[in-house]
Amino acid sequence: MRPGERRGPPVEERPRPPRAGGYVALAEAATREPHRLRSRSPVHGLDRRRLDPLQVLAQSVSGAAPTAAMAATPAIVASQAGPATLWSFAVATVVALLVGSCVGRFTRRMAAAGSLYSLTAKGLGPTAAFTSGCALLVGYGALTMAALSGSADYLGILLARGGIGTGRSAPVFIAVLLVLAAAATALMVLGIRLAARVMLLTEAASITLMLVIFGTLLARHGPPDGLPGLGPARPDLGATAAGVLPALAAFIGFEAAAALGVEARRPFRTVPRAVQWTAGASGLLLLLAAYAQQLGLDDVPGGLAGQREPVGALATAQRLPWLSVLLEGGIALSFFAAALASATALVRVVFSMGREGIAPRALGAAHPRHRTPHLAIAVALPLMAAVPVALRLAGVDAGRALPVLLKTAAFGYLVAYLLICLAAPVFLHRIGELTLGPVVVTAICAPVLMVVLGAFVTTQSGWALWAIGAVPAAGALWFGWLRLRRPRELAAVGIYDETSAADLLHGPAAPEDRG
Amino acid sequence: MSPPREPAALSGRQPRAVRNALAVLEEVIAIGPGATAKEISRALGLPSATTYRLLNLLVAEEYLVRLPGLGGFALGRRAARLCVPVAPPLPTAARAVLDHLREVIRWGVHLADLTTGRIVLTDPDPDHPPSEEALLARHPHASALGKLLLAEEAGDGEFAAHLPEPHRFTRHTITDPAGLTAELKEVAAAQLARQCGELRPDRGCLAVPVRHPATGALVAGLALAGPPARVAQPNGELIAVLREHADRLAPLLA
Repeated sequence: MRPGERRGPPVEERPRPPRAGGYVALAEAATREPHRLRSRSPVHGLDRRRLDPLQVLAQSVSGAAPTAAMAATPAIVASQAGPATLWSFAVATVVALLVGSCVGRFTRRMAAAGSLYSLTAKGLGPTAAFTSGCALLVGYGALTMAALSGSADYLGILLARGGIGTGRSAPVFIAVLLVLAAAATALMVLGIRLAARVMLLTEAASITLMLVIFGTLLARHGPPDGLPGLGPARPDLGATAAGVLPALAAFIGFEAAAALGVEARRPFRTVPRAVQWTAGASGLLLLLAAYAQQLGLDDVPGGLAGQREPVGALATAQRLPWLSVLLEGGIALSFFAAALASATALVRVVFSMGREGIAPRALGAAHPRHRTPHLAIAVALPLMAAVPVALRLAGVDAGRALPVLLKTAAFGYLVAYLLICLAAPVFLHRIGELTLGPVVVTAICAPVLMVVLGAFVTTQSGWALWAIGAVPAAGALWFGWLRLRRPRELAAVGIYDETSAADLLHGPAAPEDRG
Repeated sequence: MSPPREPAALSGRQPRAVRNALAVLEEVIAIGPGATAKEISRALGLPSATTYRLLNLLVAEEYLVRLPGLGGFALGRRAARLCVPVAPPLPTAARAVLDHLREVIRWGVHLADLTTGRIVLTDPDPDHPPSEEALLARHPHASALGKLLLAEEAGDGEFAAHLPEPHRFTRHTITDPAGLTAELKEVAAAQLARQCGELRPDRGCLAVPVRHPATGALVAGLALAGPPARVAQPNGELIAVLREHADRLAPLLA
C-alpha cells in the first residue's frame, strides 16, 4: 500500500494487486482521497450477494413480528385511542411507510451490513451515526431478549398443555429459553441462508395460523350489525394521536432487511422492497386484527380496551378453545423468528463496528467457511439469553419483563428512525441527487416521530425509564473514549459494501476468499 | 442474474424510458467513470428525478456501479455482457502446458475462458476441432465446459431458470430442471463435469475448472473430448493428469 493512500481506518486489506489497465485504471483515477477505489470491499468475508428476495423479505417480516403484534397490540392501542383504534393503526402504517421510504433512499444506493447505523453515517456523519448505532444496539438487543422471553413463555404454556411442566415455572422457562438461544446461535453461525430459510418457514407458518384464527373469528361473528360499530366512522384527532405511539411500536423491526445489504442478491432492488412491503403488509395485518378484535369484543364487558389477552377472550367468547392453542403456537413461532431477525441485525451492527474499530476489532471477524460474523454472534447471543434468565431468577416473570424490554426496544428504534429520516435528504444532497420528494417526506415524518418520541419518554416510569436513561449515559462515555483514543476510526464510520475494482467492467476476478 | 419474469408488453411511456435508459448508459461511457447524476441529467436534457431513477435502476441491475463516495457512476461487470466476448490472448507458457497435455493424451484438448459467464474457446485443439463456439455458448447444459459454468452460477441453489427450455440434442441430453439441478450439484461437488453424447451422439467430454490460485474464482475450463463410451469410464488416471495440468495453468491464466 502506498503511504498516505487512504486515511480511513486500517480495514484489513491485502496489498494492492498490480495496477490493472483499461477501464479499472480510469475509474481508479476518478476516485479521490477519502473515497479511493479499494481492491476489495471493507465488509469482505460475509456471504456476499446470496440471499434471494423472499429470504430478505423474511428477515424484515420476522423483525416486525406481525403475528405477536396482531395478538397483543390492538388492545393496548384501544386502551389509548378507544373507538379511533383503526385510525391510529392507519396513521402508524403511513408513518412506517414514510420511514421505509427514507430507508429506501439509502438502500437503493448502498449495500450495508450495519443497518440504519451505517446508513445514517452517510447522511449526518459520525456523531449521529454513533447515536443511531447505540440506539440500534439497544433496540435490536432488547427486542431479541423480549422475543426470546416471549417465545420461551408461550412454549412453556404449550408444554404445560401437553402435560410437561407446570406452565410458567422458572426452570421450564429458563430451560426452554436456553434451548432457543442455542438454536438461534447455531443457525446464525452456520450461515445466513440457513437462518433466513428458518425465519421464512417460521414466519409463514405463524402468519398462516393467525389468518386462520382471525378468519374463523370473523366468519363466526358474521357481518357486523350496522356499520356504526366501526372505528373509521368517527375519526377523532386527539384519540387517534394517542393511539399512534403504541400502534407504531407494533411495526418496529420492519427495517431489519437493511442489515442484509451485503448478503442480498441484487440488494438495491430487494432490500428497499422488503422494507416497504413489510411496512405495508404489517399495516394490513394489524388493521385486520384490530378490526376482528374490536368487532368480536364489542359485546364483552369492557370491550377490546378492557382485555389483557384479547384473542384468548375472543376464543372463549366464541366457544372455540382450540383457537387458543393455535394462537399460543403462532405467537411462540413469531417470537422465535423475531429473535432470529433482530439478533441477525444486531450482530451485523456489532460486526460493522468491529470492522471500523469502534468496537473491539475481533468482533469484525467473519467465519472463513460459513461466512457469518461468528465472533460477534458468540459475544452477543449469550448476553441476549443471560439477561432474561437473570430477570427470571430475580423473580421477574415474562409477563412483567416483556413490556419493559419492548418499551426499551421501541425507544431505541424510534431514535434510529428519527435519525434516518433526518439523514435521507442530507445524504441525497451530499451526493447531488436531491429532489423535492424526500424533503417533503422528512418534513412530514420527522415532526411526527419527534412528537411520538417525546410522548414516549414522558409517559415512561419505573424500570423502562431507568433503562432509557442509562443508555445515553453509557453511550456518552463510549463516545468520549472514542473521541479521545480513536478519532480517525470514529470519523470514518459507516462502512458498506463499496464498489471494489472487481465490480467494475473488465475488473480483476472477484477476490471471493474461498476456504 | 435472471431477467424479470413475464415482461409485459411495452405500453405508454415505456418505450421512451427504455430509450432514456440506453442514453444514460451511453452518457456514462461518454463522460467516463466518475460521471455524476447531475452531469448526466444536464448532458441528456432529462429531468433530474427521471435521471436519478434510471441510474438507480441501472445500478440495481448491475450494469452500472456507484464509485466509492456514492456520487459518481461507472460501468459494472455486467456491462461486459452487452458486447460479444473475445478470447484473451494465451500466454506462451500456458500454450506450452497445453501442448504438453496434447502430447501425453491422445484426446482432443480444449481450453475455454469462463470469466465472462460465457464459453469463449481460447485454445481449441487444432487436430480434434470442438463443436462450434456459438453452439456451446448457447446451450451450456449439453457440454462439459458449460456445466462447469452453470454449476458455478447456480452455487448450491436450484438450476438457474434463465435457460427457458433446455434443448434436447440427443437422447442423453439432460433437459428436466430437477435432473440438471442434481447434475450441477454433482459437478460442483466433484469439481468435474462429464458429458457423454449429450451434444453429439459420437462425442463425449470431461472438463475440470481452472481456478484463480488466490481467490478460487472460476477462470477457465480445461476439457478432454473423446468417444462417449471412453468418457463414461471412471478414468481416474486421466482425470489426475487433467487436474495436474489445470493446476499448472491456473497461475498463468489468472
